[in-house]
Amino acid sequence: MNSALDKLYAILRRDLLTAIRHRTGFVLTFAGLLTQLAAFYFLSRAIGPSFRPNGIEYFPFLLVGTGLCTFFVMSTQAFLETVQEAQRTGTMEVLMTTSTAPAELVILSSISAFAGNLFNLVVYLLAGAAIFRASIHANPLACLAVLALSLVLALALGITAAALQVTFQKGSALVWLLSSGMWFLSGIMFPIQSLPRSLELVARAIPLTYAIDATRMALLQGRSVTAIAFPLLVLLGFSLVLLPLALWGLSVSLHHARQNGTLSFY
Amino acid sequence: MDRVVFESVRKVFRHRPALFNWLGRERGGETVALKDLSFSAAAGEVLVLLGPNGSGKTTALKLISTMLLPDAGSVRVAGFDTQRDAGPVRQQVGIAVATERSFFPRLSARENLEFFAALDEVPRRERAERIDQVLDDTGLVEQADMLVMKFSSGMYQRLGIARALVKRPGVLLLDEPTRSLDAATTAHFWTTIRALARQQATILLATHNFAEAVTVGDRLLLLQRGELLADRSIRSGESVEELRSFYFRTTGEVDEAAGMAHWAGRVP
Repeated sequence: MNSALDKLYAILRRDLLTAIRHRTGFVLTFAGLLTQLAAFYFLSRAIGPSFRPNGIEYFPFLLVGTGLCTFFVMSTQAFLETVQEAQRTGTMEVLMTTSTAPAELVILSSISAFAGNLFNLVVYLLAGAAIFRASIHANPLACLAVLALSLVLALALGITAAALQVTFQKGSALVWLLSSGMWFLSGIMFPIQSLPRSLELVARAIPLTYAIDATRMALLQGRSVTAIAFPLLVLLGFSLVLLPLALWGLSVSLHHARQNGTLSFY
Repeated sequence: MDRVVFESVRKVFRHRPALFNWLGRERGGETVALKDLSFSAAAGEVLVLLGPNGSGKTTALKLISTMLLPDAGSVRVAGFDTQRDAGPVRQQVGIAVATERSFFPRLSARENLEFFAALDEVPRRERAERIDQVLDDTGLVEQADMLVMKFSSGMYQRLGIARALVKRPGVLLLDEPTRSLDAATTAHFWTTIRALARQQATILLATHNFAEAVTVGDRLLLLQRGELLADRSIRSGESVEELRSFYFRTTGEVDEAAGMAHWAGRVP
């Protein structure tokens, strides 16, 4: 346990130092975040106060939807970039020869990638509430429960992207699918009930739909854990299936890469 | 006791053509990198791997490090099989390669070493002291706090060696470790290698440098196109010329450098 914490600290420190030393990127990320927030605020004003999807004001509805979408996409992207950069510089092969097991290394690296984006999400939500007056009535326990399950889902997505990158050198395809599919099908901009019946069924098969729904209920409507039990259970089910599957996929892809000598191909 | 054992190891790289290959000229096929290679290396021994480009030296080192897996046969390190027990093998092995740029560019040399030391489970209380020691061994003390993105290729190579040494591996794999080093650093590095061997580390050194081979090596393996041509000890006091002559005689390659020296001597 101590050893894992020590490694996690080393990885977090590496990523933090690298991010800080990319000074321009650090500042631009926050500028981009605020610009995005302003665009959605004025969009909701243009549409008017009468549009209240699922009984929620439109700007807070957008705030949670777009914030979570950005979190999932950017976390997967950040994690994928870590793998791609390791392949480009050659650190991938060296990392795979350290005393740390590949699966442990991947999970610790993904925690680091998600920590940065989780921080961005919190800043995004706080800025939405403080600057643009989004009304938030959070139930802390319910929020924590959704967050924990969302993190497991994000972890599974990140690991799947890494496995695709190692096997086909095309993890970016998953990020593209995730970003375009999520905008359309996960109820980010509008409730999924607005979709045709067939597409609504597809939307209900996507775990991120439940993560966004449950977050809106817990963060904006103050619903308790028992009140959002259904989406939480669905998320738990997806997590129990997807995370082991992603880890198995990564283990198979690393084995093949070591067999074929393609560990550092990109 | 033998610490590294290769038993009939075969390694083949298969090339698959691209999906829409009609756009290019790439063809599928396979390259046999190692053909039923068997050898062993004992604790405290410096084993030199010699051979022309493409002879399988780097592949052999990568197989020991678990970067690659064999297609047939087995590779064992300290009794652990690299396929079945990769974890214990990785705890034993340190590797440094010639084209070493595998560092995090926006971290300093010391920060990079701290990062890899943590992943290699070097005890926290020993870390700072060990890092200072390897920075000193590789002549990087003055550049310890410089971002590695500003490093020259020689400094990268020294840092690669420092990283391999910081975990104090039982088996040290070095692939052309002095290719970009200046003469003084190279001589200091050779002294370090001999000192490690005296402390019972097993060292496998792939090189094209005959002077390096006779200075630090105890035994040599001569490889060509994945096959073992010779496995013999390096005599104490063996000269570079003797080794060079043995190399070209055994591989059947033409020693153009010797021919040019002969020609240069006859031209006024």
